[in-house]
Parts: sequence; structure tokens; C-alpha cells
Amino acid sequence: MSIVYALIGTLVFAVLGPVIGCLLAGLDRKITARMQGRVGPPLLQPYYDVRKLFGKERVSVNTTESAYVVAALVFALLAGGIFFSGGNLLMCVFVITLSSLFFIVAAYSSCSPYSEIGAHRETLQVMSYEPMIVLMTVVFYQASGSFDVSNLFNISIPIIGCTWLAFFGLLFVLTIKLRKSPFDLSMSHHAHQEIVRGMTTEMSGPTLAKIEIMHWCETVLFLGWIGMFFIWLNPLSLVLAIIVAVLVYFLEIWIDNNFARTKWQVMLGSAWFIALVCGGLNVIVLMFV
Amino acid sequence: MELIGFLIAFPLVIAVLLLFVRSDAARKYLVTIPAVIIGCASIALYVMYGSQGGSYFIFSSSIVDIICVIVSIAIGAVILIYGFKYKRILPIVLGALQLVASLIFDFAIGHKIDVSQGLYVDGLSLLMVLIIGIVGSGICVYALGYMRDFQEHEPDGAPDRRPIFFALMFLFLSAMYVIVLSNNMSWMFAGWEITTLCSFLLIGYTKTEEAINNAFRQINMNLLGGIAFLIALYVCSISFDTLSFKDFLEIGSSRPNIVILPVIALAIAGITKAAQMPFHTWLLGAMVAPTPTSALLHSSTMVKAGVFLLVKLAPIFVVCPIASALVILVGGFTFMFCSFMAISQTNAKRVLAYSTIANLGLITACAGVGTPEAVWAAMLLILFHAIAKSLLFLCVGTAEHHIGSRDIEDMDQLFQRMPKLSRFMMLGIMCMFIAPFGMLIAKWGALVALIDMHQGVLLILLAFGSAATFMFWAKWLGKLAGIAGTRENIEGNVSASEWASIGLMAALIALCCICLPLISIFMVDPYIISSYSNAGVAGGMVSSAFDGTVDADDLWLASIACVFAFIVMFAGLGRTKTKQVGVYLAGVSADNANRVFRDSMSGETMATSRNWYMTEAFNEDRLSWLGTIVCGILEVGFFIVGCVTLGIF
Amino acid sequence: MGYASKSPWVIHYDGSSCNGCDIEVLATLCPGFDAERFGVINTGNPKHADIFLVTGSVNERNIDVVKEIYDQMVEPKVVIACGICACTGGIFHDCYNVIGGVDKAIPVDVYAPGCAVRPEAIIDAVVQGIGILEEKAEALKASKRGA
Repeated sequence: MSIVYALIGTLVFAVLGPVIGCLLAGLDRKITARMQGRVGPPLLQPYYDVRKLFGKERVSVNTTESAYVVAALVFALLAGGIFFSGGNLLMCVFVITLSSLFFIVAAYSSCSPYSEIGAHRETLQVMSYEPMIVLMTVVFYQASGSFDVSNLFNISIPIIGCTWLAFFGLLFVLTIKLRKSPFDLSMSHHAHQEIVRGMTTEMSGPTLAKIEIMHWCETVLFLGWIGMFFIWLNPLSLVLAIIVAVLVYFLEIWIDNNFARTKWQVMLGSAWFIALVCGGLNVIVLMFV
Repeated sequence: MELIGFLIAFPLVIAVLLLFVRSDAARKYLVTIPAVIIGCASIALYVMYGSQGGSYFIFSSSIVDIICVIVSIAIGAVILIYGFKYKRILPIVLGALQLVASLIFDFAIGHKIDVSQGLYVDGLSLLMVLIIGIVGSGICVYALGYMRDFQEHEPDGAPDRRPIFFALMFLFLSAMYVIVLSNNMSWMFAGWEITTLCSFLLIGYTKTEEAINNAFRQINMNLLGGIAFLIALYVCSISFDTLSFKDFLEIGSSRPNIVILPVIALAIAGITKAAQMPFHTWLLGAMVAPTPTSALLHSSTMVKAGVFLLVKLAPIFVVCPIASALVILVGGFTFMFCSFMAISQTNAKRVLAYSTIANLGLITACAGVGTPEAVWAAMLLILFHAIAKSLLFLCVGTAEHHIGSRDIEDMDQLFQRMPKLSRFMMLGIMCMFIAPFGMLIAKWGALVALIDMHQGVLLILLAFGSAATFMFWAKWLGKLAGIAGTRENIEGNVSASEWASIGLMAALIALCCICLPLISIFMVDPYIISSYSNAGVAGGMVSSAFDGTVDADDLWLASIACVFAFIVMFAGLGRTKTKQVGVYLAGVSADNANRVFRDSMSGETMATSRNWYMTEAFNEDRLSWLGTIVCGILEVGFFIVGCVTLGIF
Repeated sequence: MGYASKSPWVIHYDGSSCNGCDIEVLATLCPGFDAERFGVINTGNPKHADIFLVTGSVNERNIDVVKEIYDQMVEPKVVIACGICACTGGIFHDCYNVIGGVDKAIPVDVYAPGCAVRPEAIIDAVVQGIGILEEKAEALKASKRGA
């Protein structure tokens, strides 16, 4: 049955994911502006941006880019659908990685100096966060007894109690996954001048709009990962999970506004170190305790 | 059972015939038709026995025993001749040692032991039969077109040694069938040594100095493995008075303490053949051989003989922690180190070689864990790796002949120059490292098995190794996907035989990815149930309800995602009809199609970029040295432990 | 009102001038004026931009640059000439190398005079430009529907 749930979940997520993600992105810009002493754009500004982009002329640098981008978007939606329908967390991680791969290939396909630099760096970012994400799913399995997210509603205490170390590791790589400063190497949301625009340099109009929607969905999905650490059989725990997710998002915005971009060596080194210490230690502790 | 005899004998006959055929046209028929027949016979064997758990056939023949003796003498002789010809001491010593040891074994011990059930089939060997029969013979067909091009690239007056090349390929297929279908360990050993010898001759095919050196490196390492195998044979026959693999497995899984030495010896034999560290250098060296050799011997079949042996031993590993620890650690470290080293490689064949070693490491580690879940993962890894890797080798070989380089940096914009080929290559690459394609689903199974068996260290190795895997495949994929300007399409003159086998591999990938749930249910699960539910083996670890390590629903979901990805790759790309514009070059483009811009001195500069190889962070020499030390110590240490246990128990 | 006017992303380019206008443009985009209130984002990439702010006159050296940036912007797009040099060539109009205002290279939609142009004038011009952008967006939509 889980396959039916996953497909229904994907359809629902295809509607709700972008809506929530769009509001979160608007909130991000609003809070960022306040942190910089500005008023900032309206909450719905990301929505306006995307609508405008859809209205622009369709041009592309080659005949393949848009197909890759559509694939990236569809797989991001599928990943969200799998997760929020209570499906398999590992499958969700795999599918979202596939989505990033299609995005990377789309950037590569343009053969443009700027998007290639972005694509190289994004590949490196994936390599940096992947060990921690894999170990996070392992810890999840050990703590909850199953890879199925829906299983969380059957356990009597939230898994955060024995997984806080891995949760910290996840928080660290979340900054890389959301492409927030200091780890916004492949493309940056705010300072639009950084090596032009990284991966999206050659994407314009509707293609860029799809990328934006994909980011919204990714943000919602990743915050879902954060929230799942606080779920147990009490239905009220959902509220707690949402509160924690919002707080974490605020933390990410704060980090984004307070750190300058680092070099790739620092990113790779620190992310792998964190994965080894937080992820590895947590896995081993859960195995033998 | 007659079919088994046919599968072993028929390629031999063809090999002999091919030795005497010198004309291209005749060879074409003599390779293509037998290849089809072998493929069909393999499928027929699967159809006949696939539904049963395992069948053992009463067959023992002193003629076969005598043939095995002759084979070992012949192999020893060939090695000695080459050793003297090129004045290499080590191969002479090892070859002589092995020859003497195997003769003593055959005449003093072996002939007294009668193995009544000489041949068998079960799920694992049928899987291997299908791989050998379909992938292996597909590669032989590919070699027709490839070797013609290869001969044309040779300098004038170079002798045409293609008859011996094709003969060796078919001899090799026959030897592989012997390995996977024999229950008699001394027959298996004969097949094992033939593959070593074939590989030696094929690596040295070009007779350049590099090729000869690498061939000797291969033979040195695999002779060590062969000697380890012989030690296992000695112990088995002296201590347990049997040479039947089935009996050995039953003894081993019920009383693991007494089989530690033979299991470790067999594991080391498997490790050398599967090119695990520190023996990985022979596989890297083997890449000097013509591409069909690399595809057939060094990725899809011969090295699989090594992991085949290890997977067969899995029911012992699961109850024998000492042997298990050796195999798990060597496999895990090899996976991680080789994945790291692949990042710094620009040569496509070396990347493929490192990735092969890394994946074999993963299979080795799964075999070492030995639980039904791990074996499920290992079998799927074997299957998908064989198909995807041979597709990649064939694509790289064809690309090399048409762009004149096997360097990934020269594969810029291959999507335009060879549109069909690069799509197949991209398919192969994606199948190697990304979900929802088969390899990753198998890796998922490995992950589950590792967690259940509390293999914390291995999990960490797996997590980091996988991340590196993403890096080196994704950047290659990106290189292929690039589209710029107006590059000429140069794939018009790729030969039909090359297209046929590349198409076959691609179709197999698509079929296996989409039918993954069925493969799990009908091919893998029955083997695991039959080899583990038997009370004699591992005390009945699974009930007959074992239904795969990964839930069937998730497998179907993966299969749906695969279908979508295939549609994008083969129907979606290149179909969008939007206005085409140039790329942004931050200034004035002089020739946007070729990424040339006007620079600050009013000259023209071309924007070029290379991939990241990060040779500082992932230094090949350093990592190779480290891996060799770690794994070498493990192997020597555990072997000594094994010898000690023989004294204790 | 359509969406084109709610998210005008700008790109700016400085031709040959005393740089005064360029500094004013950047001042306009600074947090002090908080142009993001109106959805304005300063992009560095013509492919993402809707409004092209040019300061300074066009000369032999930069005319190709101006044209290329303009060509790489995706329809609908609007060009605003900021400052008198960009409008007509200004005090540099009779220099040996100066061709003239931006309209010698590309079609200009809004002229914002001043030496240097004041932020208020730039904002005013952008507001006018938004109107034109909206019209162009409508026209593009109509032509899409027609096609």
C-alpha cells in the first residue's frame, strides 16, 4: 500500500509543498531584511518573482536543459511525497539526491563557464553533506526501528533523546543543503553577484521559476527531516515538531546573515569531520547501548 | 545436466576453431552464432532449474579429473615458459611452487577422494550463468568490431594475433562455467587457474613493455591466490576427507571453529581474484589490455569469480566471526579507499577500474556479513555491476576509437559528437551510483544488513565511500552532458557489432532496473531461502517467507522512478523547441558557440574549464599506500590466526 | 496589475562617465532606500534581469558590451538611461571616442537626466519603467496567445 500512499502524497505535496515553501522563502527575505535594518519585501514576494518568471519569454542555451530541470523538480516532489506520506526515509534521501544530480547535470549541460563552476561546487557540496545524511538515516533506523517515517507515531518517546548528536550533525549540513552562507558555494540566494549566479547562470524565465519551486519544496522537506526527530505517538507532537522546524529555520537565517562564505576545503573538512564525530559516534553508541 | 556439459564444452570447441580461423568474415559468423547459442543455452538452463532452490547432479568422472591434472600441468608449464622467456624470478618461483603443490595434491591426496555430486546449479550459480552467457558473449560480439579497429590502429606489419585473442575469450567463458557449476573443488580450482592464465595472456596481448609488466603483476598476485586456494584444498581433503563444496559448507556452518583456516585461505583466494587491496594493482594494470578484455575479464566476469566464491562462503562467515571480520574489513576499506582514489583520476578506464574494485569491495563486505539480507544485496550488486560496468567499458572503448582518447577531459560535449553513445554512457553511469537504479537499491540492502549486524565501522566506511562515489561519477556525467556550439557528429562509422552489444547491455539495464522487484522475488529470494533455511546450513536462519531485504513496495516505487528517468533520458532530451541563445560570457562574445570572448587586450580568449580532481586532498599514491598497508596487515594477520586455530581445534 | 511590475530585477552597467551616476545607482540599491520593498533585486546576470540601468555614454569600446547585455536579457525588458551622459552623451558628447547616448546602441525606454542623477530620479524612472515593462509583458502574453 505504501506505494499508493507515496504517489497520493506526491500529488498533495506538489500543491502544499510549494505553498508552504513559498511562504517560508518570503519569511526568510522579510527576516533577513529586518536583521539588516530594512523593511523588506512583501511576504508573497517569492510568489511574485516566480509568477513573473513564468511570464517571461522561453529561451534556453540548449535543447536538453529544461528536460533535466523538469526531472529535478519531479524527483524533488516525489521525495517530498514519500517523506510526508510516511514512506521510507532512505528512499526519500535517495530520490532527493537524484533530484540534485539532475540539477547538477542541467547546469553542466550549458557548457557555460559560470554554471560549470557552480556545478563543480554543487557536486562538492553533495559530497560534503552526503555522509552525514546517510548516517542520519542509519541513526533514524536504529532509534525508531524502521526506515518508515510513519512508524514514528508508534513509538513512546521521541527519538531526539538518543539521537541528539546526529541531530546536531544534521543541523550543520542543513546549511549546506539549503545553500546558505557560509556554505553557499554553488549559488547564492542573496548576493546575486557571486561568480554571476553559479548553477543558475544560464537558466532564465520559466526554467528558473521551476528551480525556485524546487528550492521551496526542498526547504519544506529538509525542515520535515528536522521535525521528525520530535515526533512520537502523541498527535500533539506534530505541533512541537513544527515549532522546532520553524526555530531551526530561523537559526539558519541567522547563520546566513552572520557568516561570510568559506573555501571549499573548509566546507568539506568540517562537514566530514562533523559526520564522522556526530554521525559515526551516534551510530556506534546506538549499536552497543 | 547435459546442458551444463554443453555450456562448458561448446565454448571450448569454438575456442579451438577460432584459433585456426584467420579471415574476418568467417570469424564474424564463428563468434556471433556461438555467442547467441551460449546466451540461449544459459537462459534455457535458468528456465529449467530456476524455479528450484538448488539441484546437485550425481556426476563424477575420472576423465575430468585427469583433464584437471593436465590443465594444471599445462598452466604451470606456460607460466614457467613465460617466466624464463622474460627472466622474471617471482613468477617462476610461484609457478613452480603451485605446479609441484598441485601435482602432489592430485596424485597423493586428491584422487583418493571421490565427489559423487560433481556438478550443481543453484540460484547464485544460475545468476552467474546468465551473466556469463549474456553479458560475456555480448562482449565477445562487441570485440569483433572493436578488434578490427584495434588492428587498423596498429603499426603496419604488426602480426595479427586476433585468432588467439578470440580463442582466449571463449576459453575464458568455458572456464567461468566450470567455476560456477562445479561442486567438486578441484575442478573449480582448475577453472580458477584457467581464468588466471587467460587474463595473463590477454593483458600481455599487445606485448609492449608496460603490458608485459602488468601481466606479470597479475600472474604474481593471482598465483598467490591460487596457492591460498590449494591450501584450502589440502586442509579440506586431509581434515574433512571431502572435496565437495556442499559438504564443506555444511561442515563449516555447523562447526565453524574447525574450518577457520580453509575459509580464510579461500577468502584470500577470492580477495586476490576480486582485486581487493592490497592486490588492487593488478586490476589497474590490466587496463592496458584492449577494452573487450577489460570489460569481460576485469569487470563483469572474472573478478566476479572472486566475489562468487566469497558469497558462496557467506553461510560460514555468518557463524565464523574471525573469517568474517577479515572479509568485512578488507572489503570495507577497499570500498572507501578506491572510491577516494577514483576522484583524482582523469583516465576513464582507470576511473572504471577503481570503481570496479570499490564495488567488489562492497560485495566482499556484504558476503563477509553473511546474513540473508547481506547476501541479497551482494547478489543484486553482482548482477547490476556486471551489466552496467560492461556497458560503460564498451562505451568508453568505442568513444576511444572515435575521439582518440580515453581521458575524461577529452570527452567534452560528447553529447553532441556521439549523441547515442553518450546517452548510453550516461545511462551506465547513472545506474552505477544513483537511486532508483539497481546498484543503489542493492546498496540500500547492504545498509540494512550492516545495521542489523551492528557493523558500525563498515557503515561509516560505506557512508564516506558513497559520498566520494557521487563526486567522481557526477563530474564525469556532467562532462558528457555538456552541449556547446556546433560539434560534428562522429558516430556514423561505429560498427554494427559494437552497437548491437552496447544496445544489448543498455536494454539489459533497463529491463533489470524496471523488473528489479521480480528479480528479487524470483531469482534472489529462492536462493537465499534454499541456502539458509536448510537446518544444516547456518541453523535455519530464514523462514521460507523471506521476501527480500528491501520492501517490495519500495522496489516498485524505484521501478516507477526508473521508468520516468529513462523517459527523460531517451525521449525528453533534445526535444524542447525553444529559442536558442548564447551563454553569458561577462563581456563581448567573439564566438559564443565556442565560448570565445574578447578579452581586456582586445584579443580573443576561449573559456575552458576542467573538472575537479582534488589531487591534494585525495592523493592516489598516499591513499594506495595506506590501503595496501591496512589491508595487507589484515590479511597476513588473519591468515596467521587461521593457522594457529588449526593447531588449537 | 500583473506580476512583472511586482518583481523588477535590475542589472546595471557603467559606460564611460565620471562614475558619479554609477555611485548614485548603487546608493539607490543600498539598504537605505531598501529597494527590495518593491521587489527590486540587483542581479549580475542579464539573463535574470528585467530592467537595464545604464550610466555613462556609449563609446567605441563599450558599445558591443551594451548591445550584448541587452541582447542577452530575456523579453520583456526595459532600458533606463540614468544620468545626462547616458541620455545624450552629456559633457563628453563631443569627445573623439564618444558615440553619444545609450540610444545610439540600444532602444531606451526611460530617460532619467541629472548630473549626477539623484536616487529619487532613478526611483522615479524605475517606476515609469515598471509601467512600460507591464505593457510589454501584456503584449508578449497576447502574442503568445495569438501564436
